[in-house]
Amino acid sequence: MSADAATHDDHTPSMWDWRRWVLSTNHKDIGTMYLVFAIFAGIIGGGLSGLIRWELMEPGLQVFTGEDTGWGALFGNAHNYNVVTTMHALIMIFFMVMPAMIGGFGNWFVPLMIGAPDMAFPRMNNISFWLLPASFALALMSMFVPGAGADLGFGGGWVLYPPLSTSGHNGPAMDLLILSLHIAGVSSILGAINFITTIFNMRAPGMTIHKMPLFVWSVLVTVFLLLLSLPVLAGALTMLLTDRNFGTAFFAPEGGGDPVMYQHLFWFFGHPEVYILILPGFGIVSHIVSTFSRKPIFGYLGMAYAMVAIGFIGFIVWAHHMYTVGMPVDLKAYFVAATMVIAVPTGIKIFSWIATMWGGSIEFRTPMMWAIGFIFLFTVGGVTGVVLANAGVDQALHDTYYVVAHFHYVLSLGAVFAIFAGWYYWFEKIFGVKYNSFLARAQFFFFFIGANVIFFPQHFLGLNGMPRRYVDYPDAFEFWNAVSSWGYVIMLVGMVLFFAVLIDAMIRRRKADANPWGEGATTLEWTLSSPPPFHQFSELPKIK
Amino acid sequence: MIRMPLNKNARVAAFSALAAAVMVGAAYAAVPLYDLFCRVTGYGGTTQVAVGEAGAILDREVTVYFDANTNRNLPWSFEPVQRSITVRVGETALAYYTATNNSSQPVTGVATYNVAPYKAATYFSKLECFCFTEQTLQPGESIEMPVLFFVDPLIDEERRMDDVASITLSYTFFESEDGGSASSDAAP
Ligand code: HEM
Ligand SMILES: [Cu+2]
Repeated sequence: MSADAATHDDHTPSMWDWRRWVLSTNHKDIGTMYLVFAIFAGIIGGGLSGLIRWELMEPGLQVFTGEDTGWGALFGNAHNYNVVTTMHALIMIFFMVMPAMIGGFGNWFVPLMIGAPDMAFPRMNNISFWLLPASFALALMSMFVPGAGADLGFGGGWVLYPPLSTSGHNGPAMDLLILSLHIAGVSSILGAINFITTIFNMRAPGMTIHKMPLFVWSVLVTVFLLLLSLPVLAGALTMLLTDRNFGTAFFAPEGGGDPVMYQHLFWFFGHPEVYILILPGFGIVSHIVSTFSRKPIFGYLGMAYAMVAIGFIGFIVWAHHMYTVGMPVDLKAYFVAATMVIAVPTGIKIFSWIATMWGGSIEFRTPMMWAIGFIFLFTVGGVTGVVLANAGVDQALHDTYYVVAHFHYVLSLGAVFAIFAGWYYWFEKIFGVKYNSFLARAQFFFFFIGANVIFFPQHFLGLNGMPRRYVDYPDAFEFWNAVSSWGYVIMLVGMVLFFAVLIDAMIRRRKADANPWGEGATTLEWTLSSPPPFHQFSELPKIK
Repeated sequence: MIRMPLNKNARVAAFSALAAAVMVGAAYAAVPLYDLFCRVTGYGGTTQVAVGEAGAILDREVTVYFDANTNRNLPWSFEPVQRSITVRVGETALAYYTATNNSSQPVTGVATYNVAPYKAATYFSKLECFCFTEQTLQPGESIEMPVLFFVDPLIDEERRMDDVASITLSYTFFESEDGGSASSDAAP
């Protein structure tokens, strides 16, 4: 295989050859497919959240009325509202953020940054990717088959708690969802194995572990979290499946099981998962901040080991999601303390980014604006996280919009801003053409304002006791819900601008530079042309 | 081109795959461990099973309240006979619940139980309880079911338990399906 590759070194197959994509073993092509997939899933996931904000714009039922509109009940009833929130979360997590960060940027830049010719197992890489569309198709199908009685889809929330996910949803929708997540899990675990092997074994000479770029570090920690947490989810999902279909009673009290045990298993996966969603973003942002401050990152080792620490601690804090299940006080005290400890390495990262910018010659290029937006929004989300970490406070705030605001600040603002930062940082490298930075900055402003207008008021709603996962609410909550929904409209304009940037770049095709960012951009991908040759580093680079 | 260090790669991949497999195993191992953990620590208010009486009887008194719940799929009425009993710590006491099968078929039920406050669970010992076994009621049949229990005198030696003046014992009756799942009766 390698001999063959050598003879075809610079021969890039045509864009329009289907075999290039379907049979791809090239990490850059696979990375591109992941990015396209993530954009596609993001459109669907984002559309679903539009239905949520449309419904919640006013009290009463607007969208999920269950009334026949002439085309039938177009969006269904209150059950379907819950289906929509459930699927919004699952799609954004498993089919948008993870594919974009790990599959997309990870595949593209981990080999480039460590000076490797490709991933360790290129064919497995192909399988990892192509499992995802299959998994996504199953998830989408589940929305259109019976879930609970005659109602279509699974509406029990992305956490899939029993008994709603067992006796509460007797239809095949939940089974399809289980299968979908199983496949997505296999895809991610194969990907994780691939990354671990690549990073351990395929670094160029001189690229010691303590010289690895921080993005590679972040992916390494992320895939370890995936490797150790996803199998637990797979186990829990399998128990759900057998409880549903084969008469076991893992989570059924009448058979000696315990539904709360599901929550333990789920969050043992779930908390590391939320860090899986953000860690690669930490890596991306570190590079951008350093590039546009023209300084090496402040406290490189501290940054790397802060991520390792976050990974470790992430496994021992899961029950902060379950303070209200009735835990003994001592156990709560432990989980409060452990959770607060995570804020320490997280704080180290934030202060190191700021210290990197301090005294640097900062250039506010497009990716830098996204990165600074990320730091600000992520910090807000981190602070509300520490508030929620207090079991006593959480008793009141659990399952309110305050929690929704918290995790959207760290995810749909934090993680998503990191993705866009990376997108605009590496756009020229990936596609070989320049983009219109005016449009891209306009997108940033609409996103930044829109996202804050959506989610900041949700803190107020939550503090006033508005619960999550309800299709309707008392009139008292109307004002801030309306504001929040208008925020969605602002963000939607940003989304239109995102596609405008793409179309503009596609039409104008201005040839990209190998390194558009100047001396601040020091990692190996900038030593290659834009786009890089189809096969790179047939001569391994030497790292001093 | 470059020489792929294949066996080295295969080794890392095999270790990683093993780690993933172990974690699946850990998820399943959590089932018996979780059960054991609840019994040993009284987590979630899991009470103790005693084989003999307490021995010492102290002057301290504790009021035990009785609570009964029925799963909506179970066509029974299920109630405590007495709302509460005040016992001395260490004293063995007997309480009764009644259950009536309101349906026209024989139904087997099984009860789950816990106590509140949870922290008192390790000191609440049952000698005999209808919850230890399944109960089958014929159509229309009513039975009285006993619980024989005591509050462990060790409760008096623990400062954290000084504020425990009352304990609520709670049962929830489910339809037993012989380990069957709750969803099996609801075919799509
Ligand atoms: C300073 C660090 C953080 C702390 C102390 C923290 C704490 C918490 C706590 C206590 C909850 C449970 C709230 C409840 O349900 O009542 C929670 C929920 C959540 N957090 Fe965080 N968090 C932190 C950072 C993050 C990060 C970085 C992410 C992801 C990027 C994240 C994502 C989430 C999500 C998705 C939920 C809600 C899950 C759900 O119930 O659906 N958190 N957080
Ligand atoms: Cu968490």
